[in-house]
Amino acid sequence: MEINVLVVDDSSVMRSMIGKTMQMSGLPLGNIYQAANGQEGLEILKQHWIDLVIVDINMPVMNGEEMIDHMRSLPELRDIHVVVISTEGSDTRIERLTHKGAAFIHKPFTPESIRDTVKDIMRIGNADEGTD
Amino acid sequence: MKEQTERLLYEVAEDVLGKLTFVFSFPDDDRPPLDPDAAVSASVSFDGPFSGTLFLTVTAPMLPELTGNMLGVEEGETTVEQQEDALKELINVICGNFLPRFAGKQAIFHVAPPRIAGGDEPADAETAASAGYRVQLSLDEGACDLHLTVRGIPSSENGEDDPDVAPVRMNP
Repeated sequence: MEINVLVVDDSSVMRSMIGKTMQMSGLPLGNIYQAANGQEGLEILKQHWIDLVIVDINMPVMNGEEMIDHMRSLPELRDIHVVVISTEGSDTRIERLTHKGAAFIHKPFTPESIRDTVKDIMRIGNADEGTD
Repeated sequence: MKEQTERLLYEVAEDVLGKLTFVFSFPDDDRPPLDPDAAVSASVSFDGPFSGTLFLTVTAPMLPELTGNMLGVEEGETTVEQQEDALKELINVICGNFLPRFAGKQAIFHVAPPRIAGGDEPADAETAASAGYRVQLSLDEGACDLHLTVRGIPSSENGEDDPDVAPVRMNP
């Protein structure tokens, strides 16, 4: 199974870093799509088959939490796995996101933290496989 | 508290720079602050239990290297736009990791989008703030300065308790 990924972050540098780090993680990846905000992300979700959304919180136009809310309200998108990668440090906000069914990874991240979180949320493989 | 805060800021910056740019950093408090004309600054402002601005100033020749390391490309292949984006992302991640360790994980802050700052802004902001903290770092082939200016947390600086502000939590 190859995982098609959508990376949503307003920083092009961070989108590239997340993509490269995911490729280093050993996860079985298919296509990696990119969007600069939640609205662009929703458009891509309507056009392509996506298995996993990696999304930042603070973005212009539509932030990550709003994008997740939209996804959860649409039957065709509500079951897509979501991982939030953010600098958010407030337990209250992180808890609110996890209640929406999203996993959370704090920046700065490592290939291992991404691999383990994705495998956990998508229930695939063993968490000790990957970069070695 | 000033020394503790600056040490915490250094620890966070060292961790973030190491993990995102693979660059080692060391405290370098003895040198003068970086010349604004030979450096690039980014800032991020935050508002919550207290407000403030964090500035990151990097020697100009160092920025392409940091950006190249983040992107996994040669430094000469990076554009000015990518370099500014990288600097903004670095200050954003440093700020996001600093605030919960400084104010506690229950504190909620609104963090504004990072932006490229003018050369004199860190010094001007420090003058206008009620408290200021500065950390100077030596990098592999360059240097960077961090300025944190804070408003609304003056009592702790005077050794008094401020009931609206969580205690600073330092790692051992």
